[in-house]
Amino acid sequence: MSFQTRLAAKDFIVLAEMHTPKGINISRLVNDASRLKGRVDAVVIPDMDNGIMRMSALAGGVLLQQQGIETIMHMYCRDRNRMALQGDALAAHVLGIQNIIVAHSTDMSESDHSDAKPVNDLDETELIESLGTLQKGKDISGFDLDGSPDFSIGCTLAPFSSDEELAASLTAAKAQIAAGATYVVTPPIYSEEGCSELLEKTKHLGVPVIATVFLIKSLAIAQYIANSEPGAKISDDLIRRIRKSSNREQEGIKIAAETILALKENAGGVLIQTLGWEHKLPDILEAAKL
Amino acid sequence: MITAERKPLEELIEYIKPFKRILLLGCNECVTVCSAGGRKEVGLLASGLQMAMLKSGNNIEIRQHTLERQCDPEYVEELVPMINDADAVMSMACGCGVQEIAMRFKDKPVFPAVNTTFMGASERQGVWAERCQGCGNCLLGETGGICPIARCAKQLMNGPCGGSVTGKCEISDDVDCAWQLIWDRLKSLGLEERYMEITPAKDWRSGGGSGPRKIIREDLAE
Repeated sequence: MSFQTRLAAKDFIVLAEMHTPKGINISRLVNDASRLKGRVDAVVIPDMDNGIMRMSALAGGVLLQQQGIETIMHMYCRDRNRMALQGDALAAHVLGIQNIIVAHSTDMSESDHSDAKPVNDLDETELIESLGTLQKGKDISGFDLDGSPDFSIGCTLAPFSSDEELAASLTAAKAQIAAGATYVVTPPIYSEEGCSELLEKTKHLGVPVIATVFLIKSLAIAQYIANSEPGAKISDDLIRRIRKSSNREQEGIKIAAETILALKENAGGVLIQTLGWEHKLPDILEAAKL
Repeated sequence: MITAERKPLEELIEYIKPFKRILLLGCNECVTVCSAGGRKEVGLLASGLQMAMLKSGNNIEIRQHTLERQCDPEYVEELVPMINDADAVMSMACGCGVQEIAMRFKDKPVFPAVNTTFMGASERQGVWAERCQGCGNCLLGETGGICPIARCAKQLMNGPCGGSVTGKCEISDDVDCAWQLIWDRLKSLGLEERYMEITPAKDWRSGGGSGPRKIIREDLAE
Protein backbone atom coordinates (compact mmCIF):
# COMPACT_ATOMS: atom_id res chain seq x y z
CA MET A 1 0.00 0.00 0.00
CA SER A 2 1.38 3.40 -0.86
CA PHE A 3 2.46 5.99 1.68
CA GLN A 4 -0.34 8.31 0.58
CA THR A 5 -3.02 5.65 1.03
CA ARG A 6 -1.75 4.70 4.48
CA LEU A 7 -1.53 8.35 5.49
CA ALA A 8 -5.11 8.95 4.36
CA ALA A 9 -6.23 5.81 6.24
CA LYS A 10 -4.53 7.20 9.39
CA ASP A 11 -2.37 4.09 9.69
CA PHE A 12 0.81 4.30 11.76
CA ILE A 13 3.40 5.49 9.26
CA VAL A 14 7.00 4.28 9.39
CA LEU A 15 9.56 6.35 7.53
CA ALA A 16 13.34 6.12 7.42
CA GLU A 17 15.70 8.94 6.56
CA MET A 18 18.58 8.41 4.15
CA HIS A 19 21.04 10.95 2.88
CA THR A 20 22.46 11.17 -0.59
CA PRO A 21 26.25 10.91 -0.84
CA LYS A 22 28.61 13.84 -0.86
CA GLY A 23 29.98 12.62 -4.16
CA ILE A 24 28.79 10.13 -6.71
CA ASN A 25 29.20 6.86 -4.86
CA ILE A 26 25.61 5.72 -4.49
CA SER A 27 26.25 2.12 -3.49
CA ARG A 28 25.74 2.67 0.23
CA LEU A 29 22.50 4.57 -0.29
CA VAL A 30 21.09 1.97 -2.64
CA ASN A 31 22.24 -0.99 -0.51
CA ASP A 32 20.94 0.43 2.76
CA ALA A 33 17.63 1.37 1.15
CA SER A 34 17.17 -2.04 -0.49
CA ARG A 35 17.34 -3.67 2.96
CA LEU A 36 14.28 -1.63 3.95
CA LYS A 37 12.17 -2.58 0.96
CA GLY A 38 8.72 -3.56 2.18
CA ARG A 39 9.61 -2.71 5.78
CA VAL A 40 8.97 1.05 5.78
CA ASP A 41 6.24 3.08 4.11
CA ALA A 42 8.74 5.38 2.45
CA VAL A 43 12.31 6.59 2.63
CA VAL A 44 12.76 10.31 3.27
CA ILE A 45 15.57 11.91 1.29
CA PRO A 46 16.70 15.24 2.74
CA ASP A 47 18.29 17.70 0.37
CA MET A 48 21.43 19.48 1.54
CA ASP A 49 20.37 18.92 5.13
CA ASN A 50 22.42 20.47 7.93
CA GLY A 51 23.87 22.74 5.27
CA ILE A 52 26.10 20.08 3.74
CA MET A 53 26.49 20.21 -0.03
CA ARG A 54 25.68 16.78 -1.42
CA MET A 55 23.87 15.08 -4.29
CA SER A 56 20.40 16.54 -4.67
CA ALA A 57 17.38 14.95 -3.04
CA LEU A 58 15.71 14.77 -6.43
CA ALA A 59 18.44 12.47 -7.76
CA GLY A 60 18.46 10.39 -4.57
CA GLY A 61 14.70 10.04 -4.60
CA VAL A 62 14.62 8.96 -8.23
CA LEU A 63 17.38 6.42 -7.61
CA LEU A 64 15.38 4.75 -4.87
CA GLN A 65 12.13 4.91 -6.82
CA GLN A 66 13.97 3.00 -9.56
CA GLN A 67 14.71 0.33 -6.95
CA GLY A 68 11.00 0.09 -6.19
CA ILE A 69 11.23 2.03 -2.92
CA GLU A 70 8.73 4.81 -2.34
CA THR A 71 10.44 8.07 -1.47
CA ILE A 72 9.62 11.43 0.04
CA MET A 73 11.80 14.26 -1.20
CA HIS A 74 12.71 17.26 0.91
CA MET A 75 12.35 20.71 -0.61
CA TYR A 76 13.27 23.98 1.06
CA CYS A 77 13.94 27.57 0.12
CA ARG A 78 17.55 28.39 1.00
CA ASP A 79 19.21 27.28 -2.24
CA ARG A 80 16.65 27.68 -5.00
CA ASN A 81 14.43 30.47 -6.23
CA ARG A 82 10.79 30.02 -7.21
CA MET A 83 11.65 29.04 -10.78
CA ALA A 84 14.12 26.33 -9.76
CA LEU A 85 11.77 25.01 -7.05
CA GLN A 86 8.84 24.72 -9.44
CA GLY A 87 11.04 23.15 -12.11
CA ASP A 88 12.29 20.55 -9.63
CA ALA A 89 8.76 19.81 -8.44
CA LEU A 90 7.62 19.13 -12.02
CA ALA A 91 10.70 17.01 -12.64
CA ALA A 92 10.10 15.04 -9.44
CA HIS A 93 6.56 14.14 -10.47
CA VAL A 94 7.61 13.07 -13.95
CA LEU A 95 10.41 10.93 -12.50
CA GLY A 96 8.06 9.17 -10.11
CA ILE A 97 8.31 11.11 -6.86
CA GLN A 98 4.90 12.09 -5.55
CA ASN A 99 5.73 12.89 -1.95
CA ILE A 100 7.36 16.11 -0.83
CA ILE A 101 8.23 17.39 2.63
CA VAL A 102 8.78 21.13 2.67
CA ALA A 103 11.51 21.37 5.27
CA HIS A 104 13.23 24.06 7.29
CA SER A 105 16.76 24.64 6.16
CA THR A 106 19.88 25.22 8.20
CA ASP A 107 21.12 28.77 7.82
CA MET A 108 23.78 29.24 5.17
CA SER A 109 26.15 30.62 7.80
CA GLU A 110 26.17 27.18 9.45
CA SER A 111 26.66 25.28 6.19
CA ASP A 112 29.85 23.90 4.69
CA HIS A 113 29.54 26.67 2.08
CA SER A 114 29.04 29.51 4.55
CA ASP A 115 30.26 32.08 2.02
CA ALA A 116 27.43 31.24 -0.43
CA LYS A 117 24.62 33.65 -1.14
CA PRO A 118 21.36 32.36 0.34
CA VAL A 119 18.32 32.52 -1.94
CA ASN A 120 15.19 32.44 0.26
CA ASP A 121 13.07 33.80 -2.58
CA LEU A 122 10.01 32.04 -1.11
CA ASP A 123 9.37 30.91 2.44
CA GLU A 124 8.14 27.45 3.36
CA THR A 125 4.47 28.46 3.48
CA GLU A 126 4.71 30.08 0.06
CA LEU A 127 6.45 27.01 -1.33
CA ILE A 128 3.64 24.76 -0.06
CA GLU A 129 1.09 27.11 -1.60
CA SER A 130 2.96 27.14 -4.89
CA LEU A 131 3.06 23.31 -4.97
CA GLY A 132 -0.72 23.45 -4.57
CA THR A 133 -0.90 25.94 -7.44
CA LEU A 134 1.10 23.56 -9.67
CA GLN A 135 -1.38 20.82 -8.82
CA LYS A 136 -4.16 23.08 -10.07
CA GLY A 137 -2.38 23.41 -13.40
CA LYS A 138 -0.83 26.87 -12.96
CA ASP A 139 2.60 28.18 -12.06
CA ILE A 140 3.17 30.92 -9.48
CA SER A 141 2.93 33.59 -12.15
CA GLY A 142 -0.44 32.23 -13.25
CA PHE A 143 0.66 30.63 -16.50
CA ASP A 144 -1.00 27.36 -17.54
CA LEU A 145 0.92 24.11 -17.24
CA ASP A 146 0.82 21.42 -19.87
CA GLY A 147 -0.24 18.69 -17.48
CA SER A 148 -0.27 19.15 -13.73
CA PRO A 149 1.59 17.15 -11.07
CA ASP A 150 0.12 15.46 -8.03
CA PHE A 151 1.85 15.46 -4.65
CA SER A 152 1.29 14.62 -1.03
CA ILE A 153 2.85 17.48 0.88
CA GLY A 154 4.16 17.45 4.42
CA CYS A 155 5.76 20.16 6.51
CA THR A 156 8.20 20.21 9.39
CA LEU A 157 7.89 21.64 12.86
CA ALA A 158 10.87 23.94 13.41
CA PRO A 159 13.21 22.92 16.24
CA PHE A 160 12.51 24.64 19.56
CA SER A 161 14.18 24.84 22.94
CA SER A 162 11.58 26.74 24.95
CA ASP A 163 7.80 27.08 25.21
CA GLU A 164 7.99 30.42 23.39
CA GLU A 165 9.90 28.86 20.50
CA LEU A 166 7.46 25.95 20.41
CA ALA A 167 4.53 28.38 20.21
CA ALA A 168 6.20 30.11 17.23
CA SER A 169 6.93 26.73 15.57
CA LEU A 170 3.31 25.65 16.02
CA THR A 171 2.02 28.93 14.56
CA ALA A 172 4.25 28.45 11.50
CA ALA A 173 3.14 24.81 11.16
CA LYS A 174 -0.53 25.87 11.31
CA ALA A 175 0.06 28.32 8.47
CA GLN A 176 1.77 25.57 6.46
CA ILE A 177 -1.10 23.17 7.09
CA ALA A 178 -3.56 25.86 5.99
CA ALA A 179 -1.42 26.29 2.87
CA GLY A 180 -1.75 22.60 1.99
CA ALA A 181 0.49 20.40 4.14
CA THR A 182 -1.35 17.22 5.12
CA TYR A 183 1.03 16.01 7.83
CA VAL A 184 3.76 17.42 10.01
CA VAL A 185 7.16 15.99 10.93
CA THR A 186 8.53 16.92 14.35
CA PRO A 187 12.11 17.75 15.34
CA PRO A 188 14.05 14.80 16.81
CA ILE A 189 12.82 13.03 19.92
CA TYR A 190 15.62 11.23 21.73
CA SER A 191 13.81 9.07 24.23
CA GLU A 192 10.45 7.94 25.55
CA GLU A 193 10.44 10.89 27.96
CA GLY A 194 10.07 13.42 25.14
CA CYS A 195 7.08 11.72 23.51
CA SER A 196 3.94 12.47 25.46
CA GLU A 197 4.62 16.19 25.92
CA LEU A 198 5.29 16.76 22.23
CA LEU A 199 2.25 14.78 21.15
CA GLU A 200 0.07 16.67 23.63
CA LYS A 201 1.27 19.99 22.28
CA THR A 202 0.85 19.07 18.62
CA LYS A 203 -2.46 17.18 18.72
CA HIS A 204 -4.52 20.31 17.96
CA LEU A 205 -2.79 20.67 14.57
CA GLY A 206 -5.45 18.40 13.10
CA VAL A 207 -3.14 16.43 10.80
CA PRO A 208 -1.05 13.30 11.40
CA VAL A 209 2.06 14.12 13.44
CA ILE A 210 5.06 12.05 12.43
CA ALA A 211 7.64 12.07 15.20
CA THR A 212 11.31 12.00 14.28
CA VAL A 213 13.08 9.38 16.37
CA PHE A 214 16.80 10.02 16.56
CA LEU A 215 19.19 7.13 17.07
CA ILE A 216 21.62 7.92 19.88
CA LYS A 217 24.79 6.35 18.55
CA SER A 218 27.13 6.88 21.48
CA LEU A 219 27.49 8.19 25.00
CA ALA A 220 29.33 11.25 23.65
CA ILE A 221 26.43 12.13 21.35
CA ALA A 222 23.92 11.73 24.18
CA GLN A 223 25.99 14.01 26.40
CA TYR A 224 26.50 16.53 23.63
CA ILE A 225 22.79 16.76 22.84
CA ALA A 226 21.86 16.90 26.52
CA ASN A 227 24.23 19.85 26.99
CA SER A 228 23.61 21.72 23.77
CA GLU A 229 19.86 21.31 23.29
CA PRO A 230 17.93 22.46 26.33
CA GLY A 231 14.64 20.95 25.16
CA ALA A 232 16.09 17.54 24.24
CA LYS A 233 14.88 15.76 27.38
CA ILE A 234 17.88 13.48 27.63
CA SER A 235 17.83 12.77 31.37
CA ASP A 236 20.74 11.90 33.63
CA ASP A 237 19.14 8.47 34.02
CA LEU A 238 19.26 7.90 30.27
CA ILE A 239 22.90 8.94 30.09
CA ARG A 240 23.67 6.66 33.04
CA ARG A 241 21.89 3.82 31.26
CA ILE A 242 24.03 4.26 28.14
CA ARG A 243 27.23 4.61 30.18
CA LYS A 244 26.58 1.42 32.13
CA SER A 245 25.65 -0.62 29.09
CA SER A 246 28.12 -3.26 27.96
CA ASN A 247 26.98 -2.69 24.37
CA ARG A 248 26.29 1.00 23.91
CA GLU A 249 25.45 0.72 20.22
CA GLN A 250 22.79 -1.86 21.02
CA GLU A 251 21.56 0.28 23.89
CA GLY A 252 20.99 3.18 21.51
CA ILE A 253 18.99 0.92 19.22
CA LYS A 254 16.92 -0.29 22.18
CA ILE A 255 16.24 3.30 23.27
CA ALA A 256 15.12 4.23 19.75
CA ALA A 257 12.86 1.17 19.60
CA GLU A 258 11.33 1.98 23.01
CA THR A 259 10.68 5.53 21.80
CA ILE A 260 8.94 4.21 18.69
CA LEU A 261 6.81 1.87 20.77
CA ALA A 262 5.86 4.73 23.08
CA LEU A 263 4.77 6.74 20.05
CA LYS A 264 2.78 3.96 18.45
CA GLU A 265 -0.41 4.61 20.36
CA ASN A 266 -0.78 8.33 19.77
CA ALA A 267 1.49 9.54 16.97
CA GLY A 268 0.63 9.45 13.29
CA GLY A 269 3.91 7.73 12.64
CA VAL A 270 7.66 7.88 13.04
CA LEU A 271 10.58 9.01 10.95
CA ILE A 272 13.70 7.16 12.04
CA GLN A 273 16.81 9.29 11.75
CA THR A 274 20.21 7.65 12.08
CA LEU A 275 22.55 10.21 10.46
CA GLY A 276 25.13 7.87 8.94
CA TRP A 277 24.02 4.63 10.56
CA GLU A 278 21.40 3.75 7.98
CA HIS A 279 22.70 0.16 8.00
CA LYS A 280 21.30 -0.09 11.54
CA LEU A 281 17.76 0.73 10.43
CA PRO A 282 16.68 -2.93 10.05
CA ASP A 283 17.87 -3.61 13.62
CA ILE A 284 15.82 -0.68 14.93
CA LEU A 285 12.74 -1.87 13.05
CA GLU A 286 13.30 -5.37 14.43
CA ALA A 287 13.67 -4.11 17.99
CA ALA A 288 10.53 -1.99 17.59
CA LYS A 289 8.66 -5.00 16.18
CA LEU A 290 7.87 -3.13 12.96
CA MET B 1 22.94 58.50 -0.02
CA ILE B 2 19.94 56.29 0.70
CA THR B 3 17.28 57.04 -1.88
CA ALA B 4 13.54 56.72 -1.48
CA GLU B 5 10.32 57.37 -3.35
CA ARG B 6 7.03 58.40 -1.83
CA LYS B 7 4.35 55.77 -1.70
CA PRO B 8 1.09 56.39 -3.60
CA LEU B 9 -1.36 58.59 -1.69
CA GLU B 10 -4.05 55.86 -1.74
CA GLU B 11 -1.77 53.46 0.14
CA LEU B 12 -0.99 56.12 2.76
CA ILE B 13 -4.68 56.95 3.22
CA GLU B 14 -5.41 53.27 3.91
CA TYR B 15 -2.78 53.34 6.68
CA ILE B 16 -4.10 56.42 8.46
CA LYS B 17 -7.84 55.91 7.92
CA PRO B 18 -8.51 54.53 11.42
CA PHE B 19 -6.77 57.46 13.15
CA LYS B 20 -7.66 61.06 13.92
CA ARG B 21 -4.35 62.63 14.99
CA ILE B 22 -1.29 61.92 12.89
CA LEU B 23 2.29 62.95 13.54
CA LEU B 24 3.93 63.24 10.10
CA LEU B 25 7.70 63.06 10.35
CA GLY B 26 10.38 64.04 7.88
CA CYS B 27 14.14 63.58 8.02
CA ASN B 28 16.77 66.14 7.16
CA GLU B 29 19.29 63.65 5.79
CA CYS B 30 19.21 61.42 2.68
CA VAL B 31 15.48 61.66 2.00
CA THR B 32 15.77 65.44 1.97
CA VAL B 33 18.59 65.28 -0.58
CA CYS B 34 16.61 62.96 -2.86
CA SER B 35 13.44 65.04 -2.37
CA ALA B 36 11.40 62.20 -0.93
CA GLY B 37 10.89 62.96 2.75
CA GLY B 38 12.34 66.29 3.85
CA ARG B 39 10.55 69.28 5.36
CA LYS B 40 9.15 70.34 1.98
CA GLU B 41 7.76 66.89 1.16
CA VAL B 42 6.26 66.63 4.66
CA GLY B 43 4.31 69.83 3.99
CA LEU B 44 3.13 68.64 0.58
CA LEU B 45 2.05 65.26 1.88
CA ALA B 46 0.25 66.79 4.87
CA SER B 47 -1.84 68.94 2.51
CA GLY B 48 -2.50 66.01 0.18
CA LEU B 49 -3.66 63.78 3.02
CA GLN B 50 -5.82 66.53 4.57
CA MET B 51 -7.55 67.19 1.26
CA ALA B 52 -8.11 63.53 0.48
CA MET B 53 -9.52 62.85 3.93
CA LEU B 54 -11.79 65.92 3.83
CA LYS B 55 -13.07 64.81 0.45
CA SER B 56 -14.18 61.53 1.98
CA GLY B 57 -15.78 63.35 4.90
CA ASN B 58 -13.07 62.68 7.46
CA ASN B 59 -11.43 65.41 9.43
CA ILE B 60 -7.95 64.57 10.64
CA GLU B 61 -5.33 66.54 12.50
CA ILE B 62 -1.81 66.29 11.08
CA ARG B 63 1.14 67.66 13.00
CA GLN B 64 4.30 68.06 10.93
CA HIS B 65 7.81 67.72 12.24
CA THR B 66 11.17 67.08 10.61
CA LEU B 67 14.02 65.54 12.59
CA GLU B 68 17.66 66.22 11.91
CA ARG B 69 18.34 62.49 11.59
CA GLN B 70 15.61 59.92 12.17
CA CYS B 71 17.94 56.93 12.35
CA ASP B 72 19.66 58.36 15.40
CA PRO B 73 18.11 57.73 18.84
CA GLU B 74 19.49 61.04 20.10
CA TYR B 75 17.34 63.04 17.68
CA VAL B 76 14.33 60.75 18.03
CA GLU B 77 14.15 61.72 21.73
CA GLU B 78 13.02 65.15 20.60
CA LEU B 79 9.60 63.58 19.81
CA VAL B 80 8.85 62.71 23.43
CA PRO B 81 6.84 65.89 24.20
CA MET B 82 4.65 65.49 21.10
CA ILE B 83 4.19 61.72 20.73
CA ASN B 84 1.25 61.44 23.14
CA ASP B 85 -0.77 63.92 21.13
CA ALA B 86 -0.70 61.56 18.14
CA ASP B 87 -2.73 58.39 17.55
CA ALA B 88 -0.25 57.23 14.93
CA VAL B 89 3.01 58.29 13.29
CA MET B 90 3.70 58.43 9.58
CA SER B 91 7.38 58.64 8.76
CA MET B 92 8.87 59.95 5.54
CA ALA B 93 12.35 58.75 6.52
CA CYS B 94 14.02 55.68 5.07
CA GLY B 95 13.32 52.26 6.61
CA CYS B 96 16.04 52.86 9.20
CA GLY B 97 14.23 55.94 10.48
CA VAL B 98 10.81 54.26 10.53
CA GLN B 99 12.21 51.39 12.60
CA GLU B 100 13.94 53.73 15.01
CA ILE B 101 10.59 55.41 15.74
CA ALA B 102 8.84 52.05 16.09
CA MET B 103 11.53 50.85 18.50
CA ARG B 104 11.45 54.00 20.65
CA PHE B 105 7.66 54.36 20.86
CA LYS B 106 6.52 50.78 21.24
CA ASP B 107 2.81 51.48 21.76
CA LYS B 108 2.44 53.85 18.81
CA PRO B 109 1.50 52.60 15.33
CA VAL B 110 4.14 53.75 12.82
CA PHE B 111 3.67 53.73 9.05
CA PRO B 112 6.18 54.31 6.26
CA ALA B 113 5.33 57.02 3.75
CA VAL B 114 8.19 56.21 1.39
CA ASN B 115 9.65 53.11 -0.24
CA THR B 116 13.36 52.99 0.60
CA THR B 117 14.97 52.11 -2.69
CA PHE B 118 18.75 51.95 -2.91
CA MET B 119 22.10 53.50 -2.09
CA GLY B 120 22.90 55.70 -5.01
CA ALA B 121 24.10 58.94 -6.47
CA SER B 122 22.49 61.79 -8.32
CA GLU B 123 23.13 61.54 -12.07
CA ARG B 124 21.43 64.83 -12.87
CA GLN B 125 18.58 66.94 -11.51
CA GLY B 126 15.80 64.54 -10.52
CA VAL B 127 17.64 61.35 -11.50
CA TRP B 128 19.29 58.99 -9.02
CA ALA B 129 20.98 55.69 -9.83
CA GLU B 130 22.06 52.72 -7.76
CA ARG B 131 25.76 52.59 -6.99
CA CYS B 132 26.30 50.40 -3.94
CA GLN B 133 24.68 47.35 -2.33
CA GLY B 134 26.67 47.46 0.89
CA CYS B 135 28.23 44.04 0.28
CA GLY B 136 30.69 44.64 3.09
CA ASN B 137 33.82 43.86 1.09
CA CYS B 138 34.45 46.68 -1.36
CA LEU B 139 35.82 45.63 -4.74
CA LEU B 140 36.02 49.05 -6.30
CA GLY B 141 39.82 49.04 -6.07
CA GLU B 142 39.89 46.03 -8.40
CA THR B 143 37.18 47.09 -10.80
CA GLY B 144 38.24 50.57 -11.71
CA GLY B 145 35.86 52.26 -9.29
CA ILE B 146 32.73 50.74 -10.85
CA CYS B 147 30.72 48.24 -8.81
CA PRO B 148 29.67 45.00 -10.54
CA ILE B 149 27.53 44.02 -7.55
CA ALA B 150 25.30 47.09 -7.71
CA ARG B 151 25.52 47.87 -11.39
CA CYS B 152 25.63 44.52 -13.21
CA ALA B 153 22.16 42.92 -13.46
CA LYS B 154 23.70 39.49 -12.86
CA GLN B 155 26.22 40.65 -10.27
CA LEU B 156 28.92 39.00 -12.32
CA MET B 157 32.39 38.91 -10.87
CA ASN B 158 33.92 38.00 -14.24
CA GLY B 159 31.87 39.86 -16.82
CA PRO B 160 30.57 40.81 -19.19
CA CYS B 161 27.98 38.22 -20.18
CA GLY B 162 26.67 37.64 -23.68
CA GLY B 163 23.94 40.19 -23.10
CA SER B 164 26.30 43.14 -23.32
CA VAL B 165 25.63 44.89 -26.61
CA THR B 166 27.38 48.11 -27.64
CA GLY B 167 27.95 49.00 -24.02
CA LYS B 168 24.38 48.43 -22.91
CA CYS B 169 22.86 45.72 -20.73
CA GLU B 170 20.38 43.27 -22.23
CA ILE B 171 17.76 44.21 -19.62
CA SER B 172 17.37 47.72 -21.05
CA ASP B 173 18.99 50.15 -23.43
CA ASP B 174 18.89 52.63 -20.56
CA VAL B 175 21.27 50.53 -18.46
CA ASP B 176 24.98 50.70 -19.08
CA CYS B 177 26.83 47.38 -19.03
CA ALA B 178 28.86 47.63 -15.82
CA TRP B 179 31.57 45.40 -17.24
CA GLN B 180 31.91 47.55 -20.33
CA LEU B 181 32.36 50.51 -17.99
CA ILE B 182 34.89 48.53 -15.95
CA TRP B 183 36.83 47.56 -19.06
CA ASP B 184 36.82 51.12 -20.42
CA ARG B 185 38.01 52.47 -17.11
CA LEU B 186 40.74 49.85 -16.60
CA LYS B 187 41.93 50.58 -20.13
CA SER B 188 42.11 54.30 -19.51
CA LEU B 189 44.10 53.58 -16.35
CA GLY B 190 46.45 51.27 -18.27
CA LEU B 191 45.32 48.31 -16.14
CA GLU B 192 43.94 46.02 -18.87
CA GLU B 193 45.89 43.04 -17.49
CA ARG B 194 43.83 43.19 -14.31
CA TYR B 195 40.76 42.33 -16.37
CA MET B 196 42.33 39.00 -17.31
CA GLU B 197 42.58 37.89 -13.68
CA ILE B 198 39.80 35.49 -12.75
CA THR B 199 37.96 36.67 -9.66
CA PRO B 200 36.93 33.78 -7.39
CA ALA B 201 33.32 33.22 -6.26
CA LYS B 202 32.37 36.01 -3.88
CA ASP B 203 32.16 35.49 -0.15
CA TRP B 204 28.66 36.74 0.65
CA ARG B 205 28.97 36.52 4.43
CA SER B 206 29.89 40.17 4.67
CA GLY B 207 27.03 41.03 2.31
CA GLY B 208 24.24 39.86 4.59
CA GLY B 209 24.46 36.18 3.66
CA SER B 210 24.85 35.35 7.35
CA GLY B 211 21.92 37.46 8.48
CA PRO B 212 21.56 41.03 9.74
CA ARG B 213 24.87 42.80 10.08
CA LYS B 214 26.22 44.96 12.86
CA ILE B 215 29.32 47.11 13.23
CA ILE B 216 30.84 47.30 16.68
CA ARG B 217 33.66 49.78 17.05
CA GLU B 218 35.38 48.85 20.29
CA ASP B 219 37.08 52.26 20.40
CA LEU B 220 33.74 54.06 20.31
CA ALA B 221 31.19 51.67 21.81
CA GLU B 222 30.08 52.49 25.34
